[in-house]
Amino acid sequence: MITGTLLFQSLILGVLLGGLYALLAAGLTLYFGIMRVVMLAHAAFIILAAYIAWRFSTATGLDPMISLVFTIPLFFGIGFAIQRWLISRLKPATMTMMSVLITFAIALIIEGLLGQVFTGTQRRINLPYGASSVDFFGAAIPVVQIISFVLAGLSLIALYLVLKKTRFGRALRATIQHREAAQLVGIDTNRTAGLGFGLGLATAAVGGTALSLQATIFPSLHWHWIGPLMAIIVVGGLGSVPGAAIAALLLGIIRVMLELWWTPTWAQTIFYLALFLTLMVRPQGFFGGRLAQRF
Amino acid sequence: MTAADPTTGVVLRTDKLTKSFGGVRAVDEATTEFYQGRINGLIGPNGSGKTTFFNCVTGMIRPDSGTVTMHGKNVTRWAPHRIARAGLGRSFQLCRVFPRMTVLENMLVAVQPRSLGEYLANSRNSESVDKARRMLARVGIDHLENSEARDISYGQQKLLELGSTLMTDPPFVMLDEPAGGVNPSLIERIAVLVRELNEEGTTFLIVEHNMELIMSLCDHIVVFDRGRQIAAGTPDAVQADPKVLEAYLGV
Amino acid sequence: MRSASDERTRPAPALSAAAGGVGGTSRLRPVIAIAVVVAVLALWPSVAPNAYMLSAGVVVLNYAVLATGWNIMGGFTGYISLGHVAFFGLGSYGTGLLVIHTGMNWLLATLVSALAVAVITVPIGFAALRVRGSSFVIVTIALVLVLQLIFQSWSVVTGGSGGLVVPRPFPDMLRPEHHETFFYIFLALLAVTLLVWTVIDRSRFGASLKGVREDEDKAESLGAPTGKLKLIAFVISAFFVAVAGGFYALWFADLDPLFQFRIILSSWIVLMALLGGVRYLFGPLLGAIVVGSALEYFVLEHGDTQFHLVATGLLLGLVVLFLPDGVLTGVAQLFRRFRPEATSIREVSAEDLRRQQEEQEAPQQPTTSKEASDDRG
Repeated sequence: MITGTLLFQSLILGVLLGGLYALLAAGLTLYFGIMRVVMLAHAAFIILAAYIAWRFSTATGLDPMISLVFTIPLFFGIGFAIQRWLISRLKPATMTMMSVLITFAIALIIEGLLGQVFTGTQRRINLPYGASSVDFFGAAIPVVQIISFVLAGLSLIALYLVLKKTRFGRALRATIQHREAAQLVGIDTNRTAGLGFGLGLATAAVGGTALSLQATIFPSLHWHWIGPLMAIIVVGGLGSVPGAAIAALLLGIIRVMLELWWTPTWAQTIFYLALFLTLMVRPQGFFGGRLAQRF
Repeated sequence: MTAADPTTGVVLRTDKLTKSFGGVRAVDEATTEFYQGRINGLIGPNGSGKTTFFNCVTGMIRPDSGTVTMHGKNVTRWAPHRIARAGLGRSFQLCRVFPRMTVLENMLVAVQPRSLGEYLANSRNSESVDKARRMLARVGIDHLENSEARDISYGQQKLLELGSTLMTDPPFVMLDEPAGGVNPSLIERIAVLVRELNEEGTTFLIVEHNMELIMSLCDHIVVFDRGRQIAAGTPDAVQADPKVLEAYLGV
Repeated sequence: MRSASDERTRPAPALSAAAGGVGGTSRLRPVIAIAVVVAVLALWPSVAPNAYMLSAGVVVLNYAVLATGWNIMGGFTGYISLGHVAFFGLGSYGTGLLVIHTGMNWLLATLVSALAVAVITVPIGFAALRVRGSSFVIVTIALVLVLQLIFQSWSVVTGGSGGLVVPRPFPDMLRPEHHETFFYIFLALLAVTLLVWTVIDRSRFGASLKGVREDEDKAESLGAPTGKLKLIAFVISAFFVAVAGGFYALWFADLDPLFQFRIILSSWIVLMALLGGVRYLFGPLLGAIVVGSALEYFVLEHGDTQFHLVATGLLLGLVVLFLPDGVLTGVAQLFRRFRPEATSIREVSAEDLRRQQEEQEAPQQPTTSKEASDDRG
């Protein structure tokens, strides 16, 4: 019996999940906007961050969110390195395809290493607040999901501020919008691209840590996430961060609400349906505005 | 050969063609005509919308409004390959060839099959190869036929691009800055070729910055500024037109 | 860019010997080559030391078909699909289900299933090709992921995670015989796939596809309907992979969605084609033999570990970074170094050209080597 409370609860949970999706998709959008790279390893890095948070937490007994202190700069550095030493080596003519293969290879390597080191056993962090939930107008909302959402929200705000208010952010947006023009204005687009990539991977660090609070993790989990994330950025509009955020919220809500009627596995297919429909009806995405282009 | 508009001999006409990018109106209600059998020219200062106009006409960009009529047919918003098959050949501003294919292969790819049988047929049949070689000899690079296109010089690539465009015998050819990036003797070479082909019946539309080339080559010149035509006529008429001076010198 | 060199040389005698090379490739050469290769491969069952090695041969042939089939899309158009395992899985399940529920003949079931997959590929391909390169990759991967989800959940139809058992077409055969029969079946399929590849390669269809790979905008501006051409190549490619899937289902007899739709198989297919060389007929086959044998050896020596993933990733990364055109291209380039290259431009006016042709049409001159070699095309 689907009550109003249940619907309301699903709505709230959907929003919370959507927020997390929004952060994860934002990173993916950055890579695409900067270099037209479909960074398939993004989800793998998210899971890697989750594993680091879990390991940190079990090893030190501290809250996993503290691991962000070192994972954020670490991932930033790795992102920069990947762009500067791998992606930039690819010939521009076949950039999109080859970068997909390279990032795919990285994802495989990460999954393989995680499996070797941590085995395939499913892991979950034992948090003191892991099982508690908050009562919100009759809906039971797990605390961990609220925390994830807050983490995601704060990161998105920080990302927004960096992009809009800092010089680096302006340079990044210029590079995304028109690389040649940015070069003409004196922006070192190579360095900016590297930093932008680092920024994207840093969001993966936050996202992964947030994920570790609420999910059971295992090495091949990234395949479960890369599909929906890719769907989100297409629906939102390839290259548009706000577009991705809106699409993420929308799809997150629909996804959770569908679980009222369907099993989680079938509910998950909504992302792929949305992807297909978007490509058929409006390939440049629905929410991207002028930023989204038909690449 | 495809028919031009029978009443006025117009090969290409646009009517209030408009294209904006964000707040910028690159092409602003451009209404203009180009004539059958002539070597037409299109000039204008930087930012006048020539390239956007060119791309709208050839189908690479979709105009926001207005119409494009070629050979009497409304080709507005047609896909580039449909427009090409309707009788248009074009070159690119930054010369584009198929880099990893040989010069001869570049020419053979240009042949457009029209039926399933033609699609399945060998791309190297003697008829196509002969025609390709004749064209290569005509532009002067036949001795390079087995070199990969990316290995030949820029000037040679330009000639290759021109040659491959002509493989389908298009009645109307649009050239985007054919003189760009090449030395004067090669420019002369290209001009001679264009004149010869025009005498044989090909209509041209050349977008250029090189004034000498345009003035010496073209019979009819259209001048663009701020997204629309501001003057049109013979080279002498256009050179004497004060509006043209104003556009170029920003007076 | 190098500046234009345009010394006007004296009109040289028509066309160097190098030009004769164009007409030198006879239509029959690749067909003969395929026959030879197939004949050589057919010796395997006789030299394989045991049944396991024989079955490894079947696996490698399967890979070869998958890689060559994939190459019909990836090699000609440059659109790298990471989702071909989806067609493999669909072909497998389609064939299996048809045989189980309708008792259809195994070969017919495979073909019907593959045709169904080809039909489904049309809307999928259409969506995938909407946004040039990026959407293509995204859709092909998404396809595999969603199919894995669906086939795992739809246990009623597919046996879910428990697996689907497909009745064998030759139930009375012993294992070695079974492997040997399927070895030849896959070999026949490989021969057909290679033939189709080479027909496309030499045809104008293939030439247009290659134009798409080199410069899609330019190909379109020349009049090639690139959207339709890409879609057709994609569907043909999917068809062959689906047939391989069907044969696999009949041979292996036990289908598991996690196994039939594993992304790593997609990456192996790409790796094999890239490693061998996507622009060559036997490139994917070579890649399949190298990588396939390595994989089988690995499983034999080390069992099934996560190292598979790391090794695949590393190898893929290395190939993309350092050998993107594959082994065979490197070999071809070595040969090309020995061919002379002229760099000057000659000028021939229309009149001169006509005169030259008239001269050449006159009876038997040394310069008619060009004409003679054309007829062989």
